[in-house]
Amino acid sequence: MSRSKWVLPLGMMFLLVSCGEEVKKELPVLGPYKVVDEVVDGALVTDTMFTTVRPFSFTDQDSNEINHATVEGKVFVTDFFFTSCPTICPKMKQQMLRVYDAFDGESQLVLLSHSIDPIRDSVGRLKDYADKLGIQSDRWHMVTGNRDSIYSMAKHYMIAAQVDELAPGGYAHSGAFLLIDRNKQIRGIYDGTSEEEVDVLMEDIEWLLHE
Amino acid sequence: MSKTLGNLVLFTLLLAACDYKPRNQGKVLYERNCQSCHMESGQGLGRLLPPVANADYVLEHRAELACIIRHGISGPIQVNGVTYEGEMEGNRQLTDVEINNLVHFILVDLNKQKEHFVINEVRNQLEKCSSTR
Repeated sequence: MSRSKWVLPLGMMFLLVSCGEEVKKELPVLGPYKVVDEVVDGALVTDTMFTTVRPFSFTDQDSNEINHATVEGKVFVTDFFFTSCPTICPKMKQQMLRVYDAFDGESQLVLLSHSIDPIRDSVGRLKDYADKLGIQSDRWHMVTGNRDSIYSMAKHYMIAAQVDELAPGGYAHSGAFLLIDRNKQIRGIYDGTSEEEVDVLMEDIEWLLHE
Repeated sequence: MSKTLGNLVLFTLLLAACDYKPRNQGKVLYERNCQSCHMESGQGLGRLLPPVANADYVLEHRAELACIIRHGISGPIQVNGVTYEGEMEGNRQLTDVEINNLVHFILVDLNKQKEHFVINEVRNQLEKCSSTR
């Protein structure tokens, strides 16, 4: 049987499935966890405790302090970049801009991009970059700060970022986007340079907003 | 005998011709060298990175494209009425033929130009800018 003969029945099956009641998507909690034993109402209960995003404090393109309170109770997407990056950053920013545009008016979603080049990326330079990208700081914060704090935060998010004189632009970093839920737990990691993966990210954001 | 040889040569040439698709190479070169900044359809990004598709700058500076690709360019430049201030590094690793194919792709595929770019045109351009830089 030729492969093309399968297309129609398979397509119909998909249609049938998608016509059914929508099944709630379960997004896993990612990252390190520990198993703890607690006594609840006299009974021993074993619970898995996932690491939550720890407190931080940075400055965004409008000189506002951006910290854990900024994302308190909100869903947020975060990444690491630098404005003079010649390789993957423009693509990451193009894709993050899709997320920004798709969730226009959604106050429960925050986008948070960290510069890993705090020496060159001053607040003024981030402001200029944000303006040229056409974004507002109330929904998309581009932050700079103490270099060690930024790098340790990247490590905390499990995102690779380091100074590398051999890399184009002087820094090597991952193009990952991280999705974090209202309880500050990491729920997804996506390739921020891939349109298809960012499509999935946008679906997952919808799920988390209604979780 | 000579006829057989002649046919063989002709056949080989035809095979080679089938394999030679300058536009395809131009597209591949674009994806490898240009796409990360100028984006997959050449549309650029906001006021950060200029478009190379349907861009007045490309058509007005047609005679400089080869040199810009090889040696880079520093802003500010005006493209479709928008000022861009960034800097593009040169692509010195590309050969004359590769730059020709890239320029061909940019003009024909991204800017709907009908004329084919002639290899000599690119060579002449590159010779001019190699002496001035």
